[in-house]
Amino acid sequence: MSKNETISSETQLDELEAHLAGTLKRVAPRRDFVRRLSGHIHFPPRAEIATRLHDWRRLFIVFSSVVSGMLLIVTVARALYHLFGRRNMG
Amino acid sequence: MPEIEFNEEEILLRASQGDREAFGLLYEHYIDRIFNYVYYRTGNLHDAEDLTARVFQRAMNHIRTYTDRGVPFSAWLYRIAHNLVANWHRDRSRKQEIPLDDLPISSAKVDRPESTLVRSQEQDALLRIIRQLPSERQTLLILKFVENLSNAEIGQIMGRSEGAVKSLYHRTLLALRDQIGDQNINLEGD
Repeated sequence: MSKNETISSETQLDELEAHLAGTLKRVAPRRDFVRRLSGHIHFPPRAEIATRLHDWRRLFIVFSSVVSGMLLIVTVARALYHLFGRRNMG
Repeated sequence: MPEIEFNEEEILLRASQGDREAFGLLYEHYIDRIFNYVYYRTGNLHDAEDLTARVFQRAMNHIRTYTDRGVPFSAWLYRIAHNLVANWHRDRSRKQEIPLDDLPISSAKVDRPESTLVRSQEQDALLRIIRQLPSERQTLLILKFVENLSNAEIGQIMGRSEGAVKSLYHRTLLALRDQIGDQNINLEGD
């Protein structure tokens, strides 16, 4: 290969590199896609939630806590009604 | 506010012990890189998003088995991405769908992320030729131009020496130049 051909070949490759740099540019993924996927990663997948639901002991504790809390609220509300509500009505 | 240092080693340790938040940090750090790799390997947004999601789901499922063998964590992620892209190409060729390269340019443009620059016909032609290259050469070009990595860094990810990457790069350029000549594509229009 002659010197001129070598220089021409190197110039072609330099130009090709410049075209590649102009074509292969970083693109940003859509924000809602990144957020959605992030949600899947940070929160347990459905299968894991289903496993937790099958944990009967934990489910029983959660259920009884909710019922106890509701009963407590109702009891306090009734007590307040008897203390103040009746007095106002009378 | 000072930027919190990304201590990959520590985060990886936590993630491999099942810390979901730590894995979330890895996800945020690498999502763009993996998405770009998959996007340039597939050429369309829909499949790029689907495969990127699968890469991170697979990584999350196997992070407990990850062991540090002296290569960057990104190499592990790229390996997962590479395998999923290879499966995607295999499934696609079995289904004998219309090749992406044969689709009209207008339909391909719809699939592009909002931030993608509008490409000229010459750039589309160059991308088509790049996608005809063997996968390791495509990976090399993506890591070099999209991620701006050095030959040494690319070598770590691809499991090759710096010299081997340099040599592969040169051969890739020559192959591209020949392909462009064979297909009579004029890149002067950029």
